[in-house]
Order: sequence, then structure tokens, then C-alpha cells
Amino acid sequence: MSNRDRGQNASLRLPEAGQWPDKIALGVTIAGIVCTTIGFLLAFLWVPPVGGATVSGVALIGDTMVSQKMLISQKIFYFHMPVAITSFVALLFGAYYSVRYLMTNNERFDTCAAIAMEIALLFVVMTMITGEMWTRFEWGVWWTWEPRLTTYLILMLIVIAYFVLRNSMSSPEARAKASAVVAILACIDVPICLMITRLIPSSIHPVVLREGGMSPEMGLCVGITVVGMFCLGFALYRARFRQVRLTQRVEALKETFGD
Amino acid sequence: MDPILADIYSTVIPSAPYIIAAYALLWVALLVYLLMIARGTKKAQAQLQLLEEAMEDVVVEEIIIEEE
Repeated sequence: MSNRDRGQNASLRLPEAGQWPDKIALGVTIAGIVCTTIGFLLAFLWVPPVGGATVSGVALIGDTMVSQKMLISQKIFYFHMPVAITSFVALLFGAYYSVRYLMTNNERFDTCAAIAMEIALLFVVMTMITGEMWTRFEWGVWWTWEPRLTTYLILMLIVIAYFVLRNSMSSPEARAKASAVVAILACIDVPICLMITRLIPSSIHPVVLREGGMSPEMGLCVGITVVGMFCLGFALYRARFRQVRLTQRVEALKETFGD
Repeated sequence: MDPILADIYSTVIPSAPYIIAAYALLWVALLVYLLMIARGTKKAQAQLQLLEEAMEDVVVEEIIIEEE
């Protein structure tokens, strides 16, 4: 077989590109930027600030009588919650692709799972950053062993463990199988993390996804930002997927030349 | 300023650095990841181009040998 034939065969078994997700990726990216920008503007210019402790009197601000301290730090919530939800969705995708890998042994699903977990880690870190800033100002501490924070920390550690495990195993098949199991374990922690404020009620981490948990303005702002973050998460996933597949293509071509 | 209004707005300025830091760090994290992807893609594309050029040279050599 000539090098040309070998090269052609290699490219035949090489990663796919230009599928429909790639075609919509640019539009989704723009939608993500637009939605997050609108969400940001709504959060600071449209949604009224949340009231805190009662002050010793009443003042007229605009056309509203105000008798509470304005908690401007609550504005962090409009991005904190959307990035947390996006991290959960990314983890669900990571587990889905891991299950698909365990069912089919198709390497492509392992790649998809690893990228979804990477996106999940990014959004987990962003949730932690925004949460920490809010916690530091409102609660006066950098960390507290509150149920939601603790379960989310466990979730973050599982996601980090996923990458430690992946980098510590040399056999691709064993690595894919072991990391698939960890991705599924991380996914199991998602509903626990979501439901923990209902299971162990905490005065400092309220249940917001319930009737009356948010005003219509807050709900709309969070909804738009959630859509924006989903779009950005998807765009990042596709960009990373293209990069990983391109790198795999280069490696395959190198192997062909190595022969 | 009216003392009641001052009390109502009392947490605004102290919380500002935390709000700014939260939003800034969030976008920094996103941008860093995006830059990592862009850098990786650029590197892979450069390698791919080099390989394609090397492959073309090999193909040309093979054609010359076949013709001889």
C-alpha cells in the first residue's frame, strides 16, 4: 500500500466535521452573547433590588416607599444560578455520553464525555467564584459547611477526580471505562445537590425554584441568562470538540507517516 | 444625605468590589478557556498544514519513482 492510499484510509476513519451542530455554532454563540448581555442589563437596570434588614424609617425612592436596606450584592444571583444550572446540564451530558460509551465502546463518545465534563468543570468553577464573592460579602466568611455548598464542593471534587483519573491511566480503553464510571457518579450527585435545600432546609441558602421564590422580573432575568449560558456552553463544547478532533486527526496522520 | 436613605444605601458601596469581582472573574474564566481552545486549534491547524505539505512531497516523489 502506498503512502497516498494509507493517507486516504486514515482520513476515512478520521473524525467527522461540518455536522449540523457546527453549522449552528456561530448563531448559537451570538445568541449566547446577546442573551447574557440582556440578562446583565436587566439585572442592573430593570429588576428592583432585593430588600434586606428593616431600617428605622421610610424613604421615597422613585415612586416606591422603601423601608429596607438595598441588597445590591444579590445581583450576583442573576449569573450565579444560570452558571450553576449550566454546570448541571453539562454533567448530565457527560453522563449520557459515558453511558453511550459503555454501551458501544465507541471512542467518539468518550471524547464527547470528556469535553462535556470539561465544560462542566468550567461552569462549576464559575459557580464557585460567583458564590464565593457573594458568600464573603453577605455571610462575612469565605466558606461555611452549609448543605448546598458542601454537596456542590463534593461535586466539584468528583469532576476534578475525573480528570486526575484520565491523566493517570495510559491504556485508552481502561481510561475511558474508568472515567465513564466517574462521570456517572458525578451525575448522581446532581439531583442531590439540587434537592439538598429542600431535604435539609437552610436559612442561608433558600429554595428559589418554587412558586413565589422569585418575582416575575427576577424569573425573566434569570431565564434569559440561563438561555444565554446554555448557548455559550454549547458553543464552547463545539469549539473544543473541533479542536480535539483536529488534534486526533493530526495524530492519526502522524501515525500514517510513522508507518 | 437623609440618614434613612443613607441607611437604605449603606450596603451598596461596600458590596461593589465583590459584585465587580464576581462578574469580572466569571468572564475571565470563560475567556481563558476560549483562548486555550483557540491556541490548541491554531497549533493543530499548523501541524496539519505541515503534514499535508509533507504528504504532498511524498506523493510527488512516488509519482516520479513510478514514472521512472
